[in-house]
Amino acid sequence: MRVARGTFLTLLCWVVLALLPPVLGDWNASLLAQYVIYGIFALSLGLLWGTAGILCFGQAIFFGMGAYSMAVVTLGKLPALGSSQWAGFALALVLPAVAAALIGWLLFRGRALAGAQLGIVTLCAAVVAETAARRWDFIGGFNGLFGVPSLAFPFESDALSGIGTAYATLGAALAAYLVGLAITRSPLGTVLAAIRNDENRTIHLGYNVRNHKIFVFTVSGGIAGLAGALFALQFGFVSPSLVGFALSTEVLIWVAVGGRAVLMAAFLGALLVRSAETVMSATLADYWLLVLGILFAATVVLAPQGLLASVLRLPPARRLRRRSRPTSTDTAALAPRAAEEASAGAS
Amino acid sequence: MMLYVEGLVAGYPSGGRILDGVSFDLKEGEVVALLGRNGMGKTTLMRALCGQLPLQAGTIRCGGQSLGGQPTFQFARAGIGYVPQGREIFANFTVEENLMLGALGKPSLPRSLPAETFEIFPILGERRAQRAGTLSGGQQQQLAIMRALVGQPRLLLLDEPSEGIQPSIVDEIAVTLGRIARERGLTVLIVEQNLDFVEQLASRILFMENGRIAARQAEVGELRSDSDLIHRFLSI
Amino acid sequence: MATAIALSIDMLSFTLTLLLVTLGLVVIFGMMNVINMAHGEFFLIGAYAVVAVTRAGGSFWLGLVLAPCLLALIGFAVEWLVIRHIYRRFIDTILATWGLSLALKQGVILLFGPGSQSMLNPIPGTVEVLGVSYPAYRLFIMGMGLALALGTYWLFFRTALGLQARGVIANRAMAASLGINTRRMDWATFATGAALAGFAGAVMSPIMSVDPQMGMGFLVPSFLAVLVGGVNSLVGAALGSGVIGGTTTMLSARLDQADAQIVVFLLAIMVIRFFPQGLTGDRR
Repeated sequence: MRVARGTFLTLLCWVVLALLPPVLGDWNASLLAQYVIYGIFALSLGLLWGTAGILCFGQAIFFGMGAYSMAVVTLGKLPALGSSQWAGFALALVLPAVAAALIGWLLFRGRALAGAQLGIVTLCAAVVAETAARRWDFIGGFNGLFGVPSLAFPFESDALSGIGTAYATLGAALAAYLVGLAITRSPLGTVLAAIRNDENRTIHLGYNVRNHKIFVFTVSGGIAGLAGALFALQFGFVSPSLVGFALSTEVLIWVAVGGRAVLMAAFLGALLVRSAETVMSATLADYWLLVLGILFAATVVLAPQGLLASVLRLPPARRLRRRSRPTSTDTAALAPRAAEEASAGAS
Repeated sequence: MMLYVEGLVAGYPSGGRILDGVSFDLKEGEVVALLGRNGMGKTTLMRALCGQLPLQAGTIRCGGQSLGGQPTFQFARAGIGYVPQGREIFANFTVEENLMLGALGKPSLPRSLPAETFEIFPILGERRAQRAGTLSGGQQQQLAIMRALVGQPRLLLLDEPSEGIQPSIVDEIAVTLGRIARERGLTVLIVEQNLDFVEQLASRILFMENGRIAARQAEVGELRSDSDLIHRFLSI
Repeated sequence: MATAIALSIDMLSFTLTLLLVTLGLVVIFGMMNVINMAHGEFFLIGAYAVVAVTRAGGSFWLGLVLAPCLLALIGFAVEWLVIRHIYRRFIDTILATWGLSLALKQGVILLFGPGSQSMLNPIPGTVEVLGVSYPAYRLFIMGMGLALALGTYWLFFRTALGLQARGVIANRAMAASLGINTRRMDWATFATGAALAGFAGAVMSPIMSVDPQMGMGFLVPSFLAVLVGGVNSLVGAALGSGVIGGTTTMLSARLDQADAQIVVFLLAIMVIRFFPQGLTGDRR
C-alpha cells in the first residue's frame, strides 16, 4: 500500500517521540514531558483555530483553569472531590469544557462575534481571568498555589520517574491528538472546515453553525484543561499568569509557527519553539525574545501556513477522495464535500 | 496615436488567460465602442488598460508613454481616466469629495475643482454636499464620469455607462459625453450593450471575441444594416 | 459637592487620556483595519524617547516633539517591512504585530533595562478648577487629548491628504485609478497612527512609571474603547473612551482598582457582544 508523505511523517514523528525518553535519560525526558504538555495545549488551539477558524486570544483561560483544578483538588481544598489525581483530571477536563461551552454560547449565539471583535473580546476575557485569579484568595491569590504533587503511578501515590512522566504525557498527547483527528476527519470536521471558509454560506446550506462552533470550542477547552492539569503536576505550582494574556498569545505563536491547519504541525510547533527557546535563550540570553519576536513576524509574513504544515498535511479522508460523481443526490452529503473541495482549492 | 495596444495577455491568478493577445489602437479624438458577448473579456480589457490588472505580456502605450509594469496610479497620471462598471463611487463621501479625489491624484492639476465642474451635470452641483451613496443610479453614473473628467484625462475608458439607468438620463449622458469629447478632443473607449447609446456616440466599432479583438471592424452605420454582425458578436 | 466635581474632572481626565492613547489605534485599526498589537510598544517607545532626550540633557518639551517623529519613522519601517505584505490577511496582522511587539519591548529592555524610570513633572503645581485644586499637568494632558483628537479629525476629514487617505482605504483600486499613489498613502497613514501613539506615550511619561510593561496597561482599554464606540469613527472612539474611562473612574472611587477593571472589562465585553458595530453604529 502506498502511504502518503504526510501520513508517513506523522507516524514517524510519533515513533520518534515514543523512542526518545529512554535515549534522553531521566532529566531530559522530563524536559520533553514539559514540551509535550505545551504541545497538547497548542493542539487544543490548533483544533479550534486551524479547523474551525475561530481565533481565540484567551486559550490560556482553559489551560489555567485545568491547572488550577488539578492544584485545588490534589491539595485537598475541595474535600467533596477527595484529593486523588483522578479527581483532579476529571475536574480539569470538565470545568474548562463547561466554561468553554458557556463562553462559546455567549460568543456565538445570535449574530456571532468574529474577526477583530472575537479576538479582542477573548483577549479581554483572558485579562479579566488573570486579574480575577490574582484577587481570589481561595486559589492562592497573587502567589498562586504551591506543593502540587507530581504525576504518580495510577492507583498509587509514588511519583513517576522522568521517563515514566514522559510516557504518560505522550500518552495523553496521543489521546488528545486522536480526538482532534477524529473530529477533523469526520463529516463534522468537514462542516467545521466549511465554516472556516465561508460561515454565511455554511449557514445557508442548512447547518447549525453555532452549535458546531460551540462543540469544537468545548472540546478544545477540555483538551487545554488536560494540558493545564499535566502542567500543574509537572511543575508543582500554579499561578495567575497561567490563565493570562501572555500565555494565550504564546500558544498562538507556537501554533502559527508550526502550522494551524494541521494538528500535528501545531503540536510540533510548540515543541519546536520551546526547544529553540531552551537552546537559544542560553546562547542569546536577553536577545532571545528580540529574536523570537522578529522570527515570528517573519514567519507570519513569509510562511503564512506555518513551517511544518505542508510536510505534515494528511491526505483527505477516504470518503472525500472519490473522484467519480456520487450518484446520491443527498445534499447533506454533497454540501460538505463541496466545501472541502473549496477549502482545498483555497489553501 | 492616442492608445497603442499590442499582444496584451492578462488574467486572474485562478482563472488563466482572459485576454489572449489583444491588439488595437485608437487615434486621438476618436470615440470607439467595444462590443462583444458576455464573458469575452471586455471588462478585463478595461481593467488592464487602466492598470488595475497586471499584464502577463504585451504593450500598452498611451500618448507615446509605455505603461507596462507601472503601478496603477501612473496609468491615471499618463492621462487614462476610468469609469468602471458598477460606477464605484465613494459612497460614504460627499459628492464634492468624490470629485476632489479625481483632481487630487494629478499633481499637475490645481487642488480645487474647475469652475465648469458643476455645470456639466447640474444635478451634481445641487447635491454637492450630499453623501454620494444617496444619489440615484443615474446620478452616481454622472458623478463617476465627472470624477474621471475632473482629472483632465486624454483617454476616457467607460465600462457599461448605461447599465441600470433610466433612459432619459442615459440620453443626457450620451449627449453630454459627445459634446465634451468634441470640445476637448478627448479619446473615448466605451464598452456598452445599449446600441442606441453606441450609435449616438461612437464612430468606429471593435468587436471582442475569445480574449482577442476580432479582425472584423465596423463603422457605426453598419451595425443596424448588417444582421450578421449582430448575430455573431452580440446575440446572447 | 467638591468631591462630585473632583470625580467629574477625574472622569473627564481619564476619558481624554484614553482618547489620546486611542487615537493612533483609531487610525491604524479603525481606518486601516490592521489590528496593531504593537500599539502598546509604540506608546512605550514614545515615553522612553522622552526619557532618553532628558537624560541626554534635552528638555522634556524637546522630547515631546522628537518622540512622534521617531515613531513616525518606526511606523514607516514597520509598514514597509511587515504590514504591506499582509494587508489582505487580517488575522496575520494580529500575529505579525504581536511578534513585533515582543521584539520592540525586548529592544527597549536591552537599551534601558527592565526597571522603571521616573520623569520630572514639567508643569508642577496645581490649578484651581471650580473650587477644586487639580494637578496642572493633568489639565495639560486633557488639553492635549482634546487638541489631538480635533487635530486628527481635521487632518483626515478636512484636508486633501486626509481625503486621499480615506479614499484609498474605502476603495483602493478605484483610488489608484484616479491617480492616487496608494502605497504612499498606506505608509503615511500607518506612520501617522504610530506617531500619534508615540506622542501619547511621551505626554503620559511624567505621570506614569515608565517601564517596559506600561504599554500593556493601555492596550486592552484602548482596543475596547475603539470597539465599544464603533470602529471607523473618531466620534465613536471619543464615546468609547468616555464609556471606558468614565466607568473605570467611577468604580475606582468605590472598588479596588483591579475589581473595577474586571467590572469595566466585563461590561465592555457585553457591549461588544450585543452591539458588535459599537454604540455609534457603523453604516458601512
